[in-house]
This record gives sequence, C-alpha cells and structure tokens, in this order.
Amino acid sequence: MIKTSTGERIGQAIIIVLLLALCLSVIYPFLYMLSISLNVGSDAAKGGVYLWPREFTLYNFEIVLGNSVIQHAYLITIARTVLGTFIGLMVTLLMAFGLSYRLLPFRQSLLTYVLITMLFSGGLIPFYIQLNNLSLLNSFWVYIIPTAFSAWNMFVMMKFIQGIPDALVESAEIDGANPIRILFSIILPLSKPMLAALGLFTAVGHWNDWFAGAFYVSDQNLIPVQTFLQQLLSAQDISTVLGSNNNQEALARGTMLSNVTLMSIKMATVMVSALPILCVYPFLQKYFVKGVLIGSVKG
Amino acid sequence: MLARLTKYRWQYLMILPAVVLLFLFSYIPMIGIQVAFKDFHIGLTMWNSQWVGFENFAFLQDEQFWIVVRNTIYIAVLKFITGFPAPIILALMINEVRHGGFKRFVQSVSYLPHFFSWIVVAYILQSLLTLDGGLVNQLIVNMGFEPIFFLGSTEWFRPMVVASGLWKEVGWNTILYLAAITSIDPQLYEAAKVEGAGKLAQIRHITFPGILPTISIVLILSMPSLITVGMDQIYPLMNPANQPVADVLDTYILRSGLQQGYFGMATAVGLLSSVISLLLVLFTNQMARKFNGEGLW
Repeated sequence: MIKTSTGERIGQAIIIVLLLALCLSVIYPFLYMLSISLNVGSDAAKGGVYLWPREFTLYNFEIVLGNSVIQHAYLITIARTVLGTFIGLMVTLLMAFGLSYRLLPFRQSLLTYVLITMLFSGGLIPFYIQLNNLSLLNSFWVYIIPTAFSAWNMFVMMKFIQGIPDALVESAEIDGANPIRILFSIILPLSKPMLAALGLFTAVGHWNDWFAGAFYVSDQNLIPVQTFLQQLLSAQDISTVLGSNNNQEALARGTMLSNVTLMSIKMATVMVSALPILCVYPFLQKYFVKGVLIGSVKG
Repeated sequence: MLARLTKYRWQYLMILPAVVLLFLFSYIPMIGIQVAFKDFHIGLTMWNSQWVGFENFAFLQDEQFWIVVRNTIYIAVLKFITGFPAPIILALMINEVRHGGFKRFVQSVSYLPHFFSWIVVAYILQSLLTLDGGLVNQLIVNMGFEPIFFLGSTEWFRPMVVASGLWKEVGWNTILYLAAITSIDPQLYEAAKVEGAGKLAQIRHITFPGILPTISIVLILSMPSLITVGMDQIYPLMNPANQPVADVLDTYILRSGLQQGYFGMATAVGLLSSVISLLLVLFTNQMARKFNGEGLW
C-alpha cells in the first residue's frame, strides 16, 4: 500500500474545506431567501433572521400565489416553456434529419446558410424592426417563433443522427417508408437521450428568459414570471403587486397586510419562480451532463 | 438534376420551416443593417427611409460612447481572466476528492446556479447586500463599521458582476474538464507513483497535459462572445447610481434604440459590435487552424 504523506493529507483537507465553502455559497442564499419569505415581513426587517424564520407565516406566499397578475404570468411561462420547447425541438430536428442525408443536393450550401447566422447577426435593432413588421411585437408568439430554430442544436442533432447506423434507415427505405416515417419510427426513438438533454436546455432557457417579455411586449397580460420579477426588482413599494384591485381578499385583511414588507413579498415571489427548478433538478441531472458532452463533440 | 431533387422532396420539405425562420429572423435583420445609414422612425420601413450616409455614426465623437466601450472592455477582461481559469482549478480540485458521495454532492450543488435566471441572481444579491436589512450590511454594522451601499456604488459594481457571474457558471463549466480528466489513462498515474511523483507532480505532468486539448477548445469557443459581456446579467443590476461603470455596449444599444428611439444610431453601434465579434471568430479560427491543424468549420 502506498502511504499518503502528511502534505497530501493537508492538501486533501484544504480542498474539502474550499469545496464545502463553494457548496455553502450556493445553498445558503436560498435558505436565507426562504427564511425571509416564511417570516413575518415587519419582523424580518428588524434583522437577525439568518437561517430559519423567527415568526413563521405563510402569509407572504398566500399573497403572491393569490395574486392574479402572478398567476397569469405563471400560465404564460408554462405555456411558452411547453410550446416553445416542443416547436423548437421539432423545427430543429426536422432540419437536422433532412441535412443528415449526405447525398442531398445543395447540402453544403444549406449548411453554409446556417453557419453564417452563427457568425454574424444584424443586431438587436434590425431584429426588433423585423418583429414589428411581422406584427409579432405584443403577441404571445414572439416567445416561440423567432427563437424556434437553434443552429447550435441543429449541428448537435445532425452529428448524433449521422452516428446512427445507415443499415437501420436503409432497411426501412427498402420497406417503402418515406423519410417522415423513418424519422418518427426509427430516428426519434433512438434519439431520446439527446432530445431529452437538448429539450431540457431549451426549456430552461424559456423558463428563465425575461428579456423578450420586457422589450418585445408591453401588454402586462403577456409577461412571463421572470419579466414580472424583473419589474418587481426595482419596485419601490408593494403596490406593484397589491395595487391592482385584483387582490381584494388580501386587502380586506388590512391588519395582516401591515406586517408585509416589500422584501418579504419579493422573496416569496422569487422562491415561487425558483422552486419548480429546484424540485425537478435532482431528476434531470443525468440528462444534462450527457447533453453537454454530446454538444462538445466537435461539429 | 430534377429527378434528384424530386427524389429528396421529403428532405427539402423537412428543411423548409427552418430555412424560412432563418430567412425571416436572421437574414432580413442582416439586410436591415442598412438602417444604420438611414433616418429611420417607427412607421417607415427600412426601404423607404432616407439615406443619411454616416450621420448615425456621430456617436463616435461622443465621449459617453467611449466610456461605454471602456466599461465593456473592462468587464470583458475581468470576466475572462477569472472565468477562464476558475473551472479548470475547480475541476482539478473535484478530481482530487476521494470520497465518491462527496464528489457527486459537490458536482450537483455547483451546477445548480447555472439553472437559475440572472433575475434570480439579482434578487440574491439584493437580499444579501441591500442597505435595509441585507445580511452583509447587518454583519458589517454589527462589527462596528459603516454600512456599504453595494448596489448603488461605482466601486462595487464590477466586483459584484464578476463574482456573481463566476458563482453562477464556474461549476457548470467544469463538466467538460471533468470528462476529459476521466478519459486519462490510469496507468499513467500508476507509472508516475512508481517513479515517486507526488500529487502535485502528477497534476502538472499528467492531468494538466491531459486536459490541455479541452482547454484550448474552450478558449477558442469563448473568444467570439468575449465582447458580449452579458446584458442579461448587467441590465437588472444597473441603476442611475452605478450607470457610469455599468453601462456597456449592449445596454447602450438597448437604451438609445428601444427606449429613446434613435434606431439608426443604435443599429450603427450594433453593427460595430457585430463586426468586432465576427473578426474575433475569424481570428480564432485562423489560430485554431494554425495550432490544432483544423479550424472550427
């Protein structure tokens, strides 16, 4: 047995301490925000709430979850995440499969057509003008259509599909299946892990996007949760959340309301937006690590 | 030829939606760059507005613009010199952990911030750093010092952006390096131990050379986005108090174009920024050809 020297053991200890500090820096802010959101607002404002609530209450969450603006924003977020991920994967997969045929006439030109868009862009303003021309501004579809195709994902998918043995596709062709059938009955089942990983990244992108909601949409009925959070971030008083008269019930209980602070409402809202990700995270880990590695195979 | 095209009609049909989307949302905006040389208002189209030559480029003589350029470069450089080596060091550290369970725990926890939006990061910073009841200022006051207004300070803005950016992505960026480390032949380490090489020598002579190709690929791929310093991150943290250091090219475009309506000028700034990115890509591709023997495409 090779014995470990004292120097090595000290090294191990230092590494473990540093890594623990890193983990703590990730976990602690969430614990802190959670404890503030579960504490009576006026009490938390006095300071001293570090790890767990001192005066426990669910009232902050009741206000946030009972607010119709937030509920609506949540629906928008869910709708765009589901639709955006599905349509995005579909459009991208269709092109990836089409271009995986190496003998396709004009294949090289089409690849260049895609590549150019990865290297150069018109920039934000011409893009915005085009959204305006297509009447996509102030429409739900602005979340879905302009970003549906992903050049990067297309190249990853194409590489993956080209790795599937030709014999499988050829035997189906001999049986007379057309490419659409082949895609759905042969390629799709074999691509599940790859699609799961890319779908996960796409979905997280949709869930976390605040930009489109803040600049391409002015109708408050169309903003997603992240854009709502962005507006709330710089809010100076609670009326952003409570001012609209859709919170009658909460306003009726005025005495309770005086215990709510802007900070406690903010923390409750941010926890409501982050909790779904925290909940699904442990189950999705194996997919995303695989996803990064698929993507890293040089395209 | 026609026979070949009809033979592949299904494939073309499948490709069509993406080709149309790229045309509408990538190529037409490229044509729309002409707005940089025109007097454009909402209501006109990019075709019927007046040509004005280089009038929209007057910002080049604006002092404010050069402050913005300096801020952008400053943040880009700071982010690069911290964000590039950090995941390599972290990966090497994680690799040295012998307890498998602890190793997986560290990986899971350190990947987590990648999945949260920059808005959530801004909330975390606000909850920890705000003057009224923020944790950090409570501690500072308890220790008998004056509270610091981190969120509205020109001195603290850059450290805040760099640190939170590092915090969010460092774990995630170790994935590639950890995969590269796993693929190193274990016999090399055995041989080194027999030769009497210590841990540090093993890292220097085996692990590090083993992940060097990965390091160079990551370096190449990070070049093009060097000057995109992350509007997603900066915009939510920006306020009138820290704007002198916080304003970068992307926020400048956003403000002058979408908020103040100087479309032509904002397009011109965007054009400059796109051209710089393109030059960086082409330059890196040349370098990659030279050193790796093959380019990115």
